[in-house]
Amino acid sequence: MQKNNIKTKSAHHHIDRHDWLITPDDNPRGYIQPQSIKELWFHTGTVCNLRCPFCLEGSKPGDNRINPILFEDAKPFIDEALELGVKQFSFTGGEPFVVKDTVKIIYYALKHRPCLVLTNATEPLLNRMQEIIKLKDNPNSLSFRVSLDHPDPVKHDESRGKGNFNLALKVLAKLHQNGFKVSLARLTLPGEDPNETNKAYHPFLKEAGLPLDIEIVIFPEFHLPGSNPEIPYVTESCMTTYKNEQTRSEFMCNFSKMVLKKNGKMSVYACTLVDDDSDYDLGSNLTDSMKVRVMLKHHRCYSCFASGASCSQLGF
Amino acid sequence: MKKTVENRNIEEPLTLTVKSVINYTSSLYELQLDKEGYEFTVGDCAALYSADGKTSRPYSIASGTNEPVLRFIIRKMPDGVVSTYLGNLRPGKKVQISLPFGWFRPGQNRADSPFVFIATGSGIAPFLAFMKSYPKSKPAYVLYGVKTLPEAVGYGNLKRWSNVDLAVSREKIKGIYNGRLTGLLDRIPLDKQTHYYLCGIDSMVEETGSWLEKQGIDITSIHREVFFNAEE
Repeated sequence: MQKNNIKTKSAHHHIDRHDWLITPDDNPRGYIQPQSIKELWFHTGTVCNLRCPFCLEGSKPGDNRINPILFEDAKPFIDEALELGVKQFSFTGGEPFVVKDTVKIIYYALKHRPCLVLTNATEPLLNRMQEIIKLKDNPNSLSFRVSLDHPDPVKHDESRGKGNFNLALKVLAKLHQNGFKVSLARLTLPGEDPNETNKAYHPFLKEAGLPLDIEIVIFPEFHLPGSNPEIPYVTESCMTTYKNEQTRSEFMCNFSKMVLKKNGKMSVYACTLVDDDSDYDLGSNLTDSMKVRVMLKHHRCYSCFASGASCSQLGF
Repeated sequence: MKKTVENRNIEEPLTLTVKSVINYTSSLYELQLDKEGYEFTVGDCAALYSADGKTSRPYSIASGTNEPVLRFIIRKMPDGVVSTYLGNLRPGKKVQISLPFGWFRPGQNRADSPFVFIATGSGIAPFLAFMKSYPKSKPAYVLYGVKTLPEAVGYGNLKRWSNVDLAVSREKIKGIYNGRLTGLLDRIPLDKQTHYYLCGIDSMVEETGSWLEKQGIDITSIHREVFFNAEE
């Protein structure tokens, strides 16, 4: 990793503020210098049909912190990403299927590249199932990652509403039966053995007719949006001592960007989990955003650093 | 000017004027707002805001799309910041309201398939919106559950419009079923071509949805709108 001139705004930096470049204990911050874009995420908006207390995005019914995107908003970024050689388009929210244009956007993206959609697989998806099934008639694959937070339906439903564990499972099975690739996302449980926790899903998967070897993406504690938990600072030294070229390249901000709409304006953000910090607004186009050095300042940067977590499922 | 997500790009909510507040019981009321060009689709919700604009709650719109007022059927929740505030508003006061949003579309397949509406309490709101918007498109059946008869908002109009069964759980009234709505599930006409629209508290929606599935109804024909965690 190269040392950069931390006192001068360089071509790499879109911000030259001291706290962007230097940790509070006066060390150069660790960073990722993006390479090429492989995956482009779209945040469809923070409107959701559920109001989960742990939501990483603070999404809920009627929420407009991040605005719902329109096809006209998304198309220029899809086109630009294709020119830059993107390999996959991914969609998150909120609940993407609450947003009217989501299916239209996915349909356009699928004409060019595989797509992944993160969903709670409840009423909004179910109500649009017929539209969604038609998306299968495309040259590229469409995959769904469904949130089943806990292998105990009661604990899942405590946050997501009574019956929603079973409903999500049935919707997941319906997608699987219709030939879509599916995976699960869950939260890390305190003190868990990950394999044992994953196995606890098996009876439910079996009953729903789903494969037991379904991929399960496990998320660490990312803390609520806008929160400011005390976390260790990620310094340049951390990134060279504990990471190597390979592991640095696996940070999502190396190969991925997220597009979202705030206050009516589309912006490119460094990753899917830092949209509550405007320092990570890298501008209005992908080409320029890929030149910006991403400083690992956000508390969620530490989560990625410490756990190697990634929202990405490239090539899934 | 049509106010929709399509042509509004602001984060701030809109402001509408209170026309009236009608109290049905001490804990259930109807809030009417002057529509002022606000347009929506049947089944949409809108988030209404507290006095300081910091807290919002989603409520289904209960009025017809062509009515000059927006109606919301609201239950006052114990310590509910939004529901208590809204219930005490006087005509002429301003209320902050989000753009309409929603994923529940009662009767969306009405041209091709029969449909049934099932609601508890204020969950009747989207079905009242449907009835007022499409009075000639009648559901095959309506099942409506409330705690007391005064809470059965729109029951008279529903009865004149369609085949309705009412379940009242907390008082006995001659000629009306006494008990929870789920005690009348066997009256629901079952048909694989029919679409079933469920709106209300999560326990009713889950129980009724599961029952329909057990009767062989495909989950894609069961449409749910769950009132979940609507207030702290």
